Amino acid sequence: MEKIFKKVSGKIGFEYLYVLPALAYMLFFVGYPIVSNFILSFHEVSVLTLNSPDKEFIGISNYITLFKDAVLLRSIWNTVLYTVLCILFQFVIGFALALFFNKHFCTSKSVRGFLMIPLMIPITVTALIFKFMFSSNVGIINQLLQTLNLIDAPVEWLIQPGTAMFALIFTNIWIGIPFNMILISTGLTTIPVQLYESADIDGANSFERFLYITLPMLKPAIQSVLILGFIYTFKVFDLVYVMTNGGPVDTTQMLSTYSYKLSFSLFKYSHGAAVANILFVILFAVSLLYLKYAPIGEENSK
Amino acid sequence: MNINLKISKNNMKNISLSLLSVVIAVIVLFPLYWIIVTSLKTEQEIFKINPSIFPHTFNLKSYFVQMKNGDFNMFRSFGNSLVISITAMLISVTLSVPASYSLARFTFKGKRICILTFLITQMLPVSVILTPMFIMFKNIHLLNNQVSAIIADATIGIPFSILILINYFATIPKELEDAALIDGCTRFSSFIRIFVPIAFPGVVVCAIFSFLYAWGDLVYGMTFIQDQKLRPITAGIFNFMGQYGTTWSYLAAFAVVTIIPVVIIFVFMQKYIISGLINGAVKG
Repeated sequence: MEKIFKKVSGKIGFEYLYVLPALAYMLFFVGYPIVSNFILSFHEVSVLTLNSPDKEFIGISNYITLFKDAVLLRSIWNTVLYTVLCILFQFVIGFALALFFNKHFCTSKSVRGFLMIPLMIPITVTALIFKFMFSSNVGIINQLLQTLNLIDAPVEWLIQPGTAMFALIFTNIWIGIPFNMILISTGLTTIPVQLYESADIDGANSFERFLYITLPMLKPAIQSVLILGFIYTFKVFDLVYVMTNGGPVDTTQMLSTYSYKLSFSLFKYSHGAAVANILFVILFAVSLLYLKYAPIGEENSK
Repeated sequence: MNINLKISKNNMKNISLSLLSVVIAVIVLFPLYWIIVTSLKTEQEIFKINPSIFPHTFNLKSYFVQMKNGDFNMFRSFGNSLVISITAMLISVTLSVPASYSLARFTFKGKRICILTFLITQMLPVSVILTPMFIMFKNIHLLNNQVSAIIADATIGIPFSILILINYFATIPKELEDAALIDGCTRFSSFIRIFVPIAFPGVVVCAIFSFLYAWGDLVYGMTFIQDQKLRPITAGIFNFMGQYGTTWSYLAAFAVVTIIPVVIIFVFMQKYIISGLINGAVKG
């Protein structure tokens, strides 16, 4: 084994040899599909032509058809609305919890650990749990609101247009809070205590300390958490697919679920590919933004 | 006297903060408690107005009934998920460890591009590769075969693992490697004997997360595998919801069984998980 290894590595350099298997795997199973998806979106591909080698090239007409269709614009709007609202709430709540658990008390570490559980649970299960809790006849949310006399009759949360989106956002905030909390918590531990001590000497109150020390020092952590949060939220699929499947009448249709519906329910593969590409371009732009701010490569290339 | 007063004031603060934190945890984790309680109730109990917060009886029917439930046997789905997730985990760890070692320890042409490639693939939406993958697996006759889901799941684990492990390998002092080389180690044996053991906690983090990603996957298992008998448990739940709609007690049991590995991992590997979340997101 080692002899063969030495022989081959002498020819192309051992550093490449170590990277090659992983890189080849990703290029073949991810890189190639991305390219293929672009090509697919410029062709006319349906169930009949899926296996035939010569698919008709139709330029950007898939995109034109899609943009004329109200559902695409609707899904873009829904995805943006969903992402912005989710991030806003999960960031604020996560931030507040991070500040809270940054104080020293006996249960701070252990309870914070437990709050990580929502992040690890398969999203399909989370979606199922909240679908149950939001269900109109047996859901505990309706029962709670009725007990508190906040509503008179059970609300059909997942069946009415406006409330379905609310239920999805609510559920995703539950998943997103621990993610925001743990990243901000880590950021908080990097702030030197001396800064707060000297601020104390200068007579700063706790609000001033937060505004002039905590926030500026957390800037890199906040940037990461917001951009990563955007990426993870924007590509939501499982949650929406299981809870509402884009309904009622496309009011919770997202780019990802719309793409899936076009490809795998309506078998318009090239339309599905085109919608996926629109999603990809948006996320790619945001990823570049993230790379601009994140310190990658430099710190590792010692 | 004064000091005593101060201590008791600190104690009070400590106790009240601890209590508050427990209240927060109870509110946040209530949905999980609720699904477990529901899985132990009978269907009639679930439909009662003013539901009981605590279970009166431990009714395990929802669990047992699914063992003989033909197509929707959740324990078979559980086994399928285990096979798929463990294999995907093995693939992603085997490929990521050497790759991240090289990316962390050496400078070479194209290195930055390599890291960027892994980073971007980590952020990709599934939708963009799903249709082409489906066509590809169809052409090589891997549809309706667990191999297709395994291959696809590993593509989530690999970039994550590489980006995490780069940090672990980068922190190992160069002197250690030099000493090994002087002692007659080759690059390969120093990698196996020195680097992998030192970075082992990182390898565990990668294994856990590669497993969890595969365990949580719905879209690949559901799209590439049509046969319910071969599908992973997440796709099983989704199917079950479609077929039996709102038999909540059975669905709740399904959900609880799906969470079991997650809870086991959480209980025994908590410190690895926190470290994985932090390293994976902040630096990756």
